[in-house]
Amino acid sequence: MNGALLILKKEFMELSKDRKTLFFTFVMPLILYPLIFSMMSRLGSHDAAARAGHPSRVCVTDPSQVLGRVLAGDPQRFTIVPRPPGDVRQAIRDQKLELALEVEPAAAAKLARNETLDMTVLYDHSDESSKLALDRFKNQLGRQESLWVQARLKSLGASPQLAVPVRLETLEAGDMGLFVGKLIGSFLPYLLMIMMYAGAMQHGIYATAGEKERGTLLSLLSTSLPRTQIIIGKLLYIFSIGILSALINLLSMAFSVGRLMAAGGGGDVQARTAVTGIAALATPSVLGLTFMLMVPLGLFFANFILLGGIQARNTLEASTALTPGIFVVVLMGVFSMAPGIEKMAWLPYVPVLNVSLAIRKLFSQQANGFEYLVALAMTLVLAGLMTWISTRMLNRESAVFRL
Amino acid sequence: MIRLTDVHKTFLVKDKRTRARKRIEAVRGISLEVRPGEIYGLLGPNGAGKSTTLRMIAGLMRPDRGRIEVCGVDTVESPERARALVGYLSTDLNVYSRFTPRELLRLFGEFQGVDARVAERRGIHLLEELGLADFADIRMEGFSGGQKQKVSIARALLHDPRVVIFDEPTTGLDVLTAKTVLDLLRVMKAEGRSVVVSTHVMPMVEAVCDRVGIIFDGGLHGDATPREILARWGVASLDEVFFKLADAGAGGVS
Repeated sequence: MNGALLILKKEFMELSKDRKTLFFTFVMPLILYPLIFSMMSRLGSHDAAARAGHPSRVCVTDPSQVLGRVLAGDPQRFTIVPRPPGDVRQAIRDQKLELALEVEPAAAAKLARNETLDMTVLYDHSDESSKLALDRFKNQLGRQESLWVQARLKSLGASPQLAVPVRLETLEAGDMGLFVGKLIGSFLPYLLMIMMYAGAMQHGIYATAGEKERGTLLSLLSTSLPRTQIIIGKLLYIFSIGILSALINLLSMAFSVGRLMAAGGGGDVQARTAVTGIAALATPSVLGLTFMLMVPLGLFFANFILLGGIQARNTLEASTALTPGIFVVVLMGVFSMAPGIEKMAWLPYVPVLNVSLAIRKLFSQQANGFEYLVALAMTLVLAGLMTWISTRMLNRESAVFRL
Repeated sequence: MIRLTDVHKTFLVKDKRTRARKRIEAVRGISLEVRPGEIYGLLGPNGAGKSTTLRMIAGLMRPDRGRIEVCGVDTVESPERARALVGYLSTDLNVYSRFTPRELLRLFGEFQGVDARVAERRGIHLLEELGLADFADIRMEGFSGGQKQKVSIARALLHDPRVVIFDEPTTGLDVLTAKTVLDLLRVMKAEGRSVVVSTHVMPMVEAVCDRVGIIFDGGLHGDATPREILARWGVASLDEVFFKLADAGAGGVS
C-alpha cells in the first residue's frame, strides 16, 4: 500500500505544480457559484422591482366607461394608452402595451339592470410584465365586482353577507423540511454523479493516457513498484479529485443557495422554513451515510476513467472514449430525479441507480437499511471488480507499449 | 550478472490493410550472459529486437519462452525484485517536466525504496557528474533533450543498481555530453556492474564494450569481443559489419 500512497503523493505533487489547474479545480467553484447565484438574484430582484415600479400600459375599449374610469383612477398601477393601429395581439407581443381590455358597449345598461356584463382581456403569458398587468387588473376588477355586488344587495335590501357564504382559512399541514428534503434527495444524486465524474475525468486522463503520451509511464513501470500499487495509487488520485470536486462544488452551491434564501426570504416565512428544514434534515448521520455511498460511487467512476485512460493510446483517444460517459451519467441522473422511481421494486438491485435511490430515501426520511446496504455492497463489489480489471489491463503489454 | 536462456518473444499485430492479426517473432531464442564488470554492446538495425530484449531484461516485458535472470532473480517470477536490481534508460522514457530534477530524483528514490534524503544526495552527486547540478532546482519544462536525458540517466542510477541497461543512451546528446556518458559507463564497469548498451554509434561500441552481440531479425548473431567480430567478418570497423549484416538481410544471415 505504501507504493500506492507514493504514487498518490506524486500525482498530487504534479497537480500542485500547475497553478492554473489548481485554481480551476478547487478555487473557481468557490467563486463561481456565489457569483452566479448573486448575479441571478440581483438581476431577478432588479427586474421584479423595475416591473413593480412601473404602471401597466392598458388599452381600454369601454364605450360606456364602466371600467375605463376605474383603471384611469389608479395611475400608479395603470396607464391608459390609445388602441394601437393594426393587430392588438401583435402590439402586445411587441411589448408596446401589456394588456388590452374590451368591454361590451351595453355594459353600463346591463349593470343598471343587474345583469352580467361581458368583457375580454388580451395578454401575453410568456411576458412577465403582461402577466403582472393581468394580476393587477384582476385585483382591481375583484374590488370593483365586490362594490357592484354590495350595491346590488343593498338595492335588494339584503345582507352584505349574502354574497359571502364561506370565509376560508388555508393552513399548511405538511412538513416544509420534508418537502425540501425530498427535493434535495431527488437532485443531489444527479449533482454528485455529474460533479464526481466530470471533475475527475480530465485529471484521470492526464494521469493515465497522458503519462503514456508524455513517455513517463514507462519510467514509472521500470521502478520496483508493483503494478497493482501503481494502479491503486492512480485510482486513489482520480477518486480523491472526484470526491473533492463534488464536495467543493456542492458546498459552494449550498452556501450560495443558503445565502440567497436567507437574503431573499427575510420576510418570507416559507423561505425561512425551508432553510430551517434543510438544517434539521441534513443531520450528521444523513450526511455521513450519504458520504459513505459517495465513496464506492466515486471509486466506480474513478475505475471507469482509469480503465478508459489505460486502454487509450493518447489523451485524445481517452477523451473521446470517456466523454460519452458524461451523457450516460447525466441520463442516470435525470432518471434518478424522475418522480415515483422509489416505487420501482427492482431499482434497489440496479448498480449506481440504487445509490441514487438510497440517497433520495435518506433525504426524504424513508431510508431502508437493507436497500442501503445492498447499494453500498453492490457498488463496492463493482468498484473492486473494475480495479482488478484495470490492474490486469496495465499488466497487458499491449496496453503499455504501442504495438 | 545477466543471463538470458533461449528467450523468445512474439507480438500479435493487426495489419491495417487486411485487418488480419499477424504473429511477429521479435526475439528468437536469444541466449547471452553479461558478467559483473562487463559492458555488453547490443547492435542491430531498427526493429531487429534490441529494445524488446532490453525491455525484457528490465522486467517491463515478459518472455513467451525461455528464462531471464538478473543477479540470480527470475524476471518473470519476481519482477519487482528484478526491477530493483536494474537501472533502465531508454529513449522512450521521459521525465516529469513539472518537477525539478531534485524533486524527481527524490521521488524516484522513494519509488525504488531508497530513503528520500539519501536519494536526493545521490541524485545531486550524479547530476554533478553529468554537469547538471546548477539546474537541480529548475523545473524541467524548459530543458533541452540532452538535459532531460541526463536527468533520466541520474534517475536510472539513483538506486545503485547492480545491472544497468541503457537503450541508446547518447541519442540527442552533444559530443561533450556523450563523452560524459561514456565515462560514466566506464565508471560503472569499474564498480563491477553488469552493463548492457544498445546503440547505433559504432565508435562508442568500439570504445567501451567488452563484448558485442548483433541482433538481426530477432536472433543473436555473433556474441564476442569487438576485435573477434571484426576478424570474423574480415572488416576494419564495426560500421562495416553492420552494413554487411544489412546486405545479408535480404538473403538471410548464416
